[in-house]
Amino acid sequence: MFGFEAIIAHDGLGISVIGITIVFVSLILLSFAVSQIHKLIELLDKKNTSYQRVKKTQQKDQKTPSVSDLAIPQDVQRASRQFKLLIEWMGEPFSLPKLLYLSGKCGLSRPHSTINELLKCELIIPDENGYFIWNTRVEEKRSST
Amino acid sequence: MSTDIQTLKSLDLFADLNFGELEQIAPLMHLMKVTEREVLTRRGEPASTFFIILSGNFMLSFNKERSFTLHNKGNIIGLSTVVAPFRYTGTAVALTDGLVLLMQGQEFLRLVQSNSALGDTIMRKINEIVLERMPYMTGTWGKGDINCLALKQ
Amino acid sequence: MTDLFMEFLSNTGFALVDYRNIIMLLVGIIIVYLGVAKQYEPLLLVPIGFGILIGNIPIIKDFGLGIYESGSFLNYVYYGVTHDIYPPLIFLGIGALTDFSTMLARPVLMLLGAAAQIGIFTTFLGALAIGFPPNEAASIGIIGGADGPTAIFLTAMLAPRLIGPIAVAAYSYMALVPVIQPPIMRLLTTRKERLIKMEEPREVSKREKIIFPIVGFLLCCFLAPAALPLLGMLFFGNLLKECVVVERLAKTARTSLIDIVTILLGVTVGASTQADVFLTRQSIGIFALGAFSFAIATASGVIFAKIMNLFLRKKINPLIGAAGVSAVPNSARVVQMVGQKEDPTNFLLMHAMAPNISGVIGSAIAAAILWSFMSL
Repeated sequence: MFGFEAIIAHDGLGISVIGITIVFVSLILLSFAVSQIHKLIELLDKKNTSYQRVKKTQQKDQKTPSVSDLAIPQDVQRASRQFKLLIEWMGEPFSLPKLLYLSGKCGLSRPHSTINELLKCELIIPDENGYFIWNTRVEEKRSST
Repeated sequence: MSTDIQTLKSLDLFADLNFGELEQIAPLMHLMKVTEREVLTRRGEPASTFFIILSGNFMLSFNKERSFTLHNKGNIIGLSTVVAPFRYTGTAVALTDGLVLLMQGQEFLRLVQSNSALGDTIMRKINEIVLERMPYMTGTWGKGDINCLALKQ
Repeated sequence: MTDLFMEFLSNTGFALVDYRNIIMLLVGIIIVYLGVAKQYEPLLLVPIGFGILIGNIPIIKDFGLGIYESGSFLNYVYYGVTHDIYPPLIFLGIGALTDFSTMLARPVLMLLGAAAQIGIFTTFLGALAIGFPPNEAASIGIIGGADGPTAIFLTAMLAPRLIGPIAVAAYSYMALVPVIQPPIMRLLTTRKERLIKMEEPREVSKREKIIFPIVGFLLCCFLAPAALPLLGMLFFGNLLKECVVVERLAKTARTSLIDIVTILLGVTVGASTQADVFLTRQSIGIFALGAFSFAIATASGVIFAKIMNLFLRKKINPLIGAAGVSAVPNSARVVQMVGQKEDPTNFLLMHAMAPNISGVIGSAIAAAILWSFMSL
């Protein structure tokens, strides 16, 4: 048997209608009971419920562009010359992942931590568009001191 | 190894939570040492874990080699674990040795199921960070229209 | 000695294998791959996938190895499936894990969970129409409840032969919720409706959360006594969680217990999925009807939410109707995702948990009703 014949023969419509009705009735009754629970509790306690919303505004870190006053370690100074050459070859603004990749290919030692030092000393700074530039202001300040 | 509540309280993501809520989160966060050059996430892979930096420095790179670096305690990596598209949108590499806290995506889902208000609070904070980072993913800079910031799948 | 060796060889899997074993082993590998590499519901698909591998190794019959052979290890473990022991234990863990407060805060959202169960009964009719007998049609229909333990619970009672394909279908579609639901949700709602921001739910007191499982259990089981094993355990688990004084028990229920049972259930359901049942036209019908069931359940929830909005002063975002399918919390997360695509500041997750949870209750009641009718 197939199609409507099968549905009618097995009382499918009846089962489905009664079934979904019972599901709805059960959840309607449950939702009604739930909606009364808290009122009942309030009545028993004779208390008003209240709740607070706590909002805190988060302050974003303010980046103040300034020339770093940190002294640049000797090994970083050496590495900075090598990275500067690489950056000049790549052109500015440059991609930091690409700089990392090329510095590794060129055999520069520990390019990851060196780049981190250059970032810390602000010799490399973001251009706010997802790329980076060499900070000539820091370099000029170093050479003038 | 799970982490202690004081450490969690010091993180921006959990700063607003009370002791009870932090107690629920603590067993889900695990400490992990990271070494220089280690890759935490790869762009395009299913996002199953998110990381919170305790120490160390990291670079996140996105589409078209856009990138930014994270150096502060409390910065988060792997946000796509809890928000769409549930695939890592960036590659995260450790620039130096460090320590991170990690939470598995499945554990976060369990947290949402067991305390949906807490899950909601955390997700809102994560969403703020996602919106800040959206320009790196999409390449659309300086546009304040919310439609441009809608999360893409 | 040669004879002994030849006899040994004739009993190895290489001698006994046929093409159907190979196909089923490939199915098992694919399911493991989906769980591990694609991370589709790995907690379920990895045990099921490996179980399929276990159950489809060619072995000699009557050697006490197969899952259907009395006295075998797998047979003993399978007892928990065939005698409906595992599904209620999983529901115990779900109850101990789930926060019901969003549902308690706005009880009217429970009706969305009820509406989604229309998918079950519609599919039941569809299965009857294409020639399945009533007990099998009921087991297929329950796939639309998007609840693996409920599907296994009912199928073990009504159509134990089909546990394998029905369980694989149910869990696979639960994993595919983020794929199946969004297009249906977008089709049935306007952009204006998707942008509706819902009022934050009221705070629910601890006493409400403790009273609810008792009231809920009594009410549901008086109306549908056959739901006693599932809903009894669900509400018991929730009481363990909320009353706080038995936190150790609650923690065990939602961690170790549910994980142990999931392993045993997954492996044995997988092992019971054998070629003679899985590689048939019936299985194709089951998978097709399962997808249909999911789609109807999603659509019913969304449409019902739109209907409710005609009468409600405080409008609800109709997207949350899709969370009435009881894949907790995945379908709530899908609602969040679809809502955020329209407006990144619209947080629907918490609101969607309400119909998500009531869907679990609704699908258990639906299963109980079908079981009652089929047993008459």
